[in-house]
Amino acid sequence: MPEPKRHDPILEIRGLRKSFGALAATDDVSLDLRPGEIHALIGPNGAGKSTLIKQIVGEIRPDAGSIRFEGQVIDGLDAAARARLGLARSFQVSSVIADFTALQNVMLAVAGASGAVFRFHRPALADRKLTEPALFHIEQAGLAGRHLVPAAALSHGERRKLEIAMALALRPRAFLLDEPMAGMGLEGGRQLTAILSDLRAEAPILLVEHDMDAVFALADRVSVLVYGRVIATGSVAEIRANPEVRRSYLGEEA
Amino acid sequence: MTLNRDTVVNLAILALLVATAIGAHVLGNGFTVTLATKAAIFGLAGVGLNLALGYGGLISFGHAAFFGIGGYVTGILASHAAAGTPVATLPFTVMGSNEMLGIWPMAMLAAGLAALVIGALSLRTWGVYFIMVTLAFAQMLYYFAISWPRYGGEDGLSFYVRNSFPGLNTFAPIQYFAICTTLLAVALVFTAVVTQSRFGLALQAARQNSQRTVALGIRPYAIRLTAFVLSGMIVGLAGSLYADLNRFVSPAMLSWHMSGEIMVFVILGGVGRLCGPVAGAALFILLEHVLGGVSDYWQALLGLLLLAIVLFAPGGLIGILTQRRRHA
Repeated sequence: MPEPKRHDPILEIRGLRKSFGALAATDDVSLDLRPGEIHALIGPNGAGKSTLIKQIVGEIRPDAGSIRFEGQVIDGLDAAARARLGLARSFQVSSVIADFTALQNVMLAVAGASGAVFRFHRPALADRKLTEPALFHIEQAGLAGRHLVPAAALSHGERRKLEIAMALALRPRAFLLDEPMAGMGLEGGRQLTAILSDLRAEAPILLVEHDMDAVFALADRVSVLVYGRVIATGSVAEIRANPEVRRSYLGEEA
Repeated sequence: MTLNRDTVVNLAILALLVATAIGAHVLGNGFTVTLATKAAIFGLAGVGLNLALGYGGLISFGHAAFFGIGGYVTGILASHAAAGTPVATLPFTVMGSNEMLGIWPMAMLAAGLAALVIGALSLRTWGVYFIMVTLAFAQMLYYFAISWPRYGGEDGLSFYVRNSFPGLNTFAPIQYFAICTTLLAVALVFTAVVTQSRFGLALQAARQNSQRTVALGIRPYAIRLTAFVLSGMIVGLAGSLYADLNRFVSPAMLSWHMSGEIMVFVILGGVGRLCGPVAGAALFILLEHVLGGVSDYWQALLGLLLLAIVLFAPGGLIGILTQRRRHA
């Protein structure tokens, strides 16, 4: 495999199509995620954002098209294998292991990334190969001191941060964040915006987000998805000025 | 390691079981020792099921298959050893055995292989389908045992001498109790270690949130299948001990009643609690003999108790005990 060049996209989506019956949920979508960028994916409800994310992570198979991740075609890999390559995903609705402490949640991510899950002997909590990276990522995500709290007892905002800690523990090469701002208050949203901005230094982010303030504050590039098609890709300024985008999506907000 | 509340309750349950057997032995009450042995064996079966059901969330209604296979392996080996005939001559000669140390691995291996096949197929389904598929496999084996005349068919298979263990007299009830309780303790330590390991972390994560587990690069299928096989092997060992306790195996060990009973031990004692199944099995046997003496319909009362536990104390007996301590 040729060594990917520094400016080659980390994630390359080409001609992706997925239909459910007569409905084209993904209609010839091509997208890139370049090193160091936050690429926001916006679009009205039902535009096919979630379907697109699911195809990227390997949860559903596209009808046509191809996805490359760091130069490697990943079409044949299942979701677990893609995660191990460093495709880190957060969910639209917070998805953590509720009965586990924050620490155990992140330890699970460290174990998953290591690929060595079939260890039966040593207590996981005494395994510094798990606990040390886990504590580091918990701190990185702004949850320092909360690691022994069960995930179910964390506030909504803390759970969002926990998801980010879990994503970080996968030693990600790219983040796919599905509406990380959803349900966050004003202050929580501001904090998370700062965290996401720092996250860009770890790996590029494909950000699905409804919160336009966050998108315009964070994104280097924006793609607009409407009825399964990308109708525009460009900088924040270009997207704001694009008449088609204003008409079909930003209409009531711009 | 500090002793937490759960550990104290767990040790107390085991101590109570051992004290009951020793007390009865001192008083010359062999029957009660045998009851305690039965509780230890059923507890072992419950501990096995708990690994799949409690920790893995795999609601198997077919664990009688592994219990029965363990029992039949024991019965078949013992009856051939008594008759001096080989169990099989093709592809190679397999002789019978009356040594527990030889029989247990065979019983566990056979149960484990069955669990591998049944698990590999049934774990492709989930929820109610998983329950039904595991039930179907166990019932298949049940009807096979009934219609296989070579080893007793419907009447079951008796062997007249309990298998032997080096240095012990397995006929002495208290010595056989010691064997069974030691194996129970080993299984408990094994479960405690495995559930706290990386594997245990992944198994419990997959139970609670399978999609999230996949997104962290872990495939739940392989994790669950491994747990199912380990679970089947422990239950197979319990089946072997049960066969030796009665010196008799019958298709009843393979029937869905048995699967249900093992499940009841787990639910009574506390799903996903280390010693829950032991407490559940002991309570079950206690009720069987206290209430069973009062009325033949004692199982109706058991049903009510089960209902009350599921509705009001989903942590089972262990949940009640540990909670009380927390408030004390």
